[in-house]
Amino acid sequence: MSDAVNDLPEATGRRLEELEHGLFTSDLSVNEFLLVKEAGFHPVGFVMGSSIYHTGIQTRKWSQSQELTKLTEAMYNARELAMTRMEEEAAALGADGVVGVRLDVNYYEWGKDAAEFIAVGTAVKAEDGVSRRNKLGKPFTSDLSGQDFWTLAQTGYAPQGLVMGTCVYHIAHRGLGQALSTTGQNVELPNFTQALYEARELAMTRMQDESARLGATGIVGVRLEEKSHQWGSHTIEFLAIGTAVTRGDEAVTLPTPTTIISLDN
Amino acid sequence: MSGTSAHDELRALVRDAVNALAVAPATSEVRTSDLSIDEELNLHAMGWEAVELVSGYSVFSIPMGVWSWGLGEISAAAEAHAKAFSAATRRLHHEAAAAGGHGVVGVHIERSVFSTHIAVSLIGTAVRPVGAGRVGDEHVFVSDLSGRDFARLVLAGWEPLGLATGASFVYAPRRTIGAAIAQQSQNVELTNFTEAIYTARELAMERMQRSAIDLHGSGVVEVKVLEGPMSFAAHAVGFTAWGTVVRLVAGEHHRMRPSLAVSLDDPAIVFDAATLG
Repeated sequence: MSDAVNDLPEATGRRLEELEHGLFTSDLSVNEFLLVKEAGFHPVGFVMGSSIYHTGIQTRKWSQSQELTKLTEAMYNARELAMTRMEEEAAALGADGVVGVRLDVNYYEWGKDAAEFIAVGTAVKAEDGVSRRNKLGKPFTSDLSGQDFWTLAQTGYAPQGLVMGTCVYHIAHRGLGQALSTTGQNVELPNFTQALYEARELAMTRMQDESARLGATGIVGVRLEEKSHQWGSHTIEFLAIGTAVTRGDEAVTLPTPTTIISLDN
Repeated sequence: MSGTSAHDELRALVRDAVNALAVAPATSEVRTSDLSIDEELNLHAMGWEAVELVSGYSVFSIPMGVWSWGLGEISAAAEAHAKAFSAATRRLHHEAAAAGGHGVVGVHIERSVFSTHIAVSLIGTAVRPVGAGRVGDEHVFVSDLSGRDFARLVLAGWEPLGLATGASFVYAPRRTIGAAIAQQSQNVELTNFTEAIYTARELAMERMQRSAIDLHGSGVVEVKVLEGPMSFAAHAVGFTAWGTVVRLVAGEHHRMRPSLAVSLDDPAIVFDAATLG
């Protein structure tokens, strides 16, 4: 969505203008702030994007496991809107990247099936003036904390982008006959296992496809979340999310960590 | 008539309260502080000490009926919010200065928005360089950073200046019944809500930045935001942001040069009864 900035209300202009004149805002803790500075970056602004989205309806078959493509599409689309708007704000500030990105879905009483998708993070800029933007010329995004960001920098890897894959899947109910025939027995329920496997596979593959598009060598900090949102117990969203990274050209020798026992409990 | 006497009693009570706020509390040798031992140690290590637990509190009323119908920003609510915050902060400054503090750290911020009023409560520990003399109200800084964070920030060459806050409440137009029905089965963005949230967010963030600039800060750290529809008016959305304003005082940022360490502690195992169910 290239015209996202134009969609923003008038006040955005003033907020971003003040940030361009040297004031910075950041939701980093003091520790994270100092570590981001330590890694050679300066925070430039607290950036965010959001979209309030109404997800459509898709009919499900009681006894058939299937991906609900319309819902998958909605979850993708809404998150993409929020992420892109956040990236646009960071780009407008001349940032090299966004750290500590958090993606959230909030349901309110605005009506059925409506949810707010929100992405927030702190835009940062390299202090040496060399651009750290990713292959696509956009600011990198990453859900790593300030601590993880510094540690990653020590290993010679650089974040490229927050990548995700999602899949909303309807898991078939078991027929009455099936349920009766397994009563009292230890058996695997192959249709459930199969459905969960397939849904996870789809989500993970989509995440890897996104990272391949960024030319990344790996994905760190991957989390796999399973949520039913408001769809009832047999419909689940599988969300795989992580930070795609590439290795820098310089060879890095990591210092051996010292071992400690902390005296506080 | 009992109604009148209750009214007079209330008046007398309010008058007493106002008088009490104007008088500086008597200083005693006994010091209270809600800092942990760690934080006290951190403060002492950099030559500061805790002086007294101080607080500031304020309630501001909101005119009736502003939440239900309207268009654009609900400015009466934003104004009440700004006034409540600044009155609470002023009282916190006053108490801290009277106790001999140069600043207040670890401020707990509690804010509640009701349909009729906004309440702000600030409680923190006044601190000063060991044995330092008194300063005026206006020279006291206020920060929601912990004593530990305060110490680390000062060692890196920065100083906290105060709290920056901003809030905005915006009315989200309702969709027409026709639109709501037409969109029932579709994937669509609800632009009326997105725009309302954006307006509230931009206004609130801009106000927070404005108050940071007024304090001559160069940045705001640990920004916290609260957002969403108001519980008592589903078609009004609110956005509040606050954080500690900081400024670089040393010539340049002092690097910490952390080293990598692996803790050999086993993670604490907490018995969780929920896992048994």
